[in-house]
Amino acid sequence: MTHTLHRTGDIESLKEDFTMLTHVARGYNDHGAGERLKQMAEIARKYTNLNYGDCKVGNQFMMSPEEIANKHTVGWQVVFKDKESLIACMKELKEKNIGISVVVSGLFDEVFDCCKKAGINPPLVEFALGIHGNKNKIWPKEILDFVTMCGHGLVSGHLVKKMIEDITNKKISIKEAAIELAKPCLCGAFNPYRAAKLLEKLVTQ
Amino acid sequence: MRIEEGKCVGCGLCISYCPVGAIQLNEDKKNNRKKKVNIDEDQCVECGVCLRAQVCKSQAIYLPELKWPRVARRAFSDPMVEHKETGVPGRGTEEMKTNEVTGRFKRGSWGMAVEVGRPGVGARLWELELIAMALAEKGVVFEPRNPVTFLFADVKTGKLKPELKNEKVLSAIIEFEVKPEQLREVLKILKDISDQVETVFSVDLISFPEEEEKGPALKIAREMGFPVYPNGKVNLGLGRVLNK
Repeated sequence: MTHTLHRTGDIESLKEDFTMLTHVARGYNDHGAGERLKQMAEIARKYTNLNYGDCKVGNQFMMSPEEIANKHTVGWQVVFKDKESLIACMKELKEKNIGISVVVSGLFDEVFDCCKKAGINPPLVEFALGIHGNKNKIWPKEILDFVTMCGHGLVSGHLVKKMIEDITNKKISIKEAAIELAKPCLCGAFNPYRAAKLLEKLVTQ
Repeated sequence: MRIEEGKCVGCGLCISYCPVGAIQLNEDKKNNRKKKVNIDEDQCVECGVCLRAQVCKSQAIYLPELKWPRVARRAFSDPMVEHKETGVPGRGTEEMKTNEVTGRFKRGSWGMAVEVGRPGVGARLWELELIAMALAEKGVVFEPRNPVTFLFADVKTGKLKPELKNEKVLSAIIEFEVKPEQLREVLKILKDISDQVETVFSVDLISFPEEEEKGPALKIAREMGFPVYPNGKVNLGLGRVLNK
């Protein structure tokens, strides 16, 4: 499950896109992990309310965050748009030392800077080495930037096009369209704040 | 997924939600003035997005009972399904996320993942087999704690269970470790095989923070024509053993 890797986009846009996930290690810290995951989610949600979810349960646009928090067994995701909140969250998670793994995705320069400021020395990184094969089949860049925000591939490029069309025809607001796009991404890894900015750019072009 | 024909009112609201474009609006054969939505079963990956979208007011969309081998579509497309072999939902692998606890990837080698069908295209499992067999031929050993490994009839050769070949999934991850002396060869295989698949695949490299910019793996990747994205995943190292 590499679902928070391979996000495409311009540097400026990616500067407002950080995903944090927690994950239990099966056989090592999975026994009774639900309560620990809930505690960690409560900490993270103090610093961001953009999106929160668990792929076995759903995201905050499908049900209440409290309902999600009570059902964790493996892990959860949240998204941040700024480094200050991310650093504060990383500091508190480190201080509380609950013991479940945490991974942050984003621009390496920015994430490493956050780690430094939070007093964290990350032991491992994962790099994306691009898309290969029959690239004629992938969505054009302006659609791909939305589609790749759900690493499980649940956000359809057709839906992105439909939302652009609906905004243009004044059937839906930009904010509502961004949330509609966030709904299929069960994990809560989709960043609706960034999506709204991308939609705004596209419809004003 | 299926559509209960009698219930469908032909509004077409579900169509755009399908990540693989398997839903179409067609003429109703019995009443040519009306339209009906139909799901192309061959293209459908059983991800469940259309059902969960809750846009079908007449509740015509439903999930039928899936039998082997079709059930593999859902396992590799619907993240709500936990892979029974690994206990992990989504694509079913912990990969680097818990490495500070499990020690899965160790210094002196690199982790690699080839996610077939990503981003947003989907793949037939024969395409995964093609890549896996080419890698296995060069001595690549597949990660045992990844659900793809359980799809192989022969884990040493990467040959799939034959009944799975035509099943379509949103994506599936071939995961393995590479020794420094293997990396160039592995990347060359992936480059060469690009022309032989109908789908796309995304490539990951799992390494250590000091690799960034100055490490040998990224240098080799760049020399071989692989782009290195400026963004990626960073394990914060906050996990530890807690089970008694």
